[in-house]
Amino acid sequence: MIKIFKIIFSNFKFLAISLTIFSSMMLSLLFISEFIFTDPYFVTHMPSGSELGFILIIMLSGLSALVIPMNLFRIINLKNSKQKMSTSIFGTTVGSVAGACSCGPIGFSMISTFGSVGATATAFLTNYEIPIRIIAILILLITYFTTIKSLKTECRINF
Amino acid sequence: MNKKIPIFCIIAISIIIVIIASMYSSIDKTFDVDMTRTHGSISTAMGSPILGDPLAPITIVEFGDYQCHQCYNWFHNTKPMIMRDYIETGKANLVFVDFAFLGKDSAKAAQATYCANDQNMYWEYHDSLYILQESKIDNGWASSERLKAFAFNLNLDMKLFDECLDSEKYSKRVQYNSQQARDNGVKGTPGFFIISSDYGQKQISGAQPYSVFQKILESMI
Repeated sequence: MIKIFKIIFSNFKFLAISLTIFSSMMLSLLFISEFIFTDPYFVTHMPSGSELGFILIIMLSGLSALVIPMNLFRIINLKNSKQKMSTSIFGTTVGSVAGACSCGPIGFSMISTFGSVGATATAFLTNYEIPIRIIAILILLITYFTTIKSLKTECRINF
Repeated sequence: MNKKIPIFCIIAISIIIVIIASMYSSIDKTFDVDMTRTHGSISTAMGSPILGDPLAPITIVEFGDYQCHQCYNWFHNTKPMIMRDYIETGKANLVFVDFAFLGKDSAKAAQATYCANDQNMYWEYHDSLYILQESKIDNGWASSERLKAFAFNLNLDMKLFDECLDSEKYSKRVQYNSQQARDNGVKGTPGFFIISSDYGQKQISGAQPYSVFQKILESMI
């Protein structure tokens, strides 16, 4: 597994993609979930009871930053199928969307634009934020392990 | 000609009955508010009673939804310190204006607070909603039955409260408040305006920590 990491992330391009995905995803999710505020001042804030939500955001960002570059490597260098890439992007999207709505500007925009359908979707994504994020993390974990397994075979790395 | 007189009488009596009935129903739906009350660009006439000294130099206007979990976070994490340092010391006061957009129970909960206000228990009821809030939207925690149960726990006159809530007496008041939020560019809850006659008004979006409010309030005092 370490050899696979070395092969992929020794390439600056994949390392940069990974760091970009991690930082942009983490910052945007922390901002949407109101752990970070930028207006009127830049400030970080962790209300009591929000610790689990914070940990799940870090896990989701970290896994996305691992799985997406690994699958990009498979597609670009090994000319393999894009199925696992789609699964990892699906997992990332599902995890990101959960909790993004709630009572903030995104939820308000959804309700204002789509009316009762938007309200129902917002309520669902808010009510099941934690379970949806856990499912997204599980999807990414499964994709991660199957990708590692595939890479072991495809790269013919001797462990 | 004489045959038409009873018909005219019946029509006249019917009209009088309709007029009296409509007057009675409008009397039933009137409530005591100061329609001229504004804070900065916001009409707070239909909002909550003022919490703290009405003559305080700064007013914090909070736009909130009773089903919003971030409002719950602000209520529990930031508001107690604002109460201690600014409202109880007379440096600022606070007005809550409903922005009930999250679900059908949001509007009902907001109406219930004004039914409690009829019995001078607005803030007690408001607080109990944020203390007892459940994190799920429209899951029944703020249904009519539960709202009545909260009122019962506060020893309100249940006959008056039930009549008020069931008649949706304050439906338009809540709609007016939500429109105020939209008119003032609020795009989520909680949303705040810190208003001072000398320093204008500053907007804060979201359940921001005490330090942010402190910085802005201190710059205005």
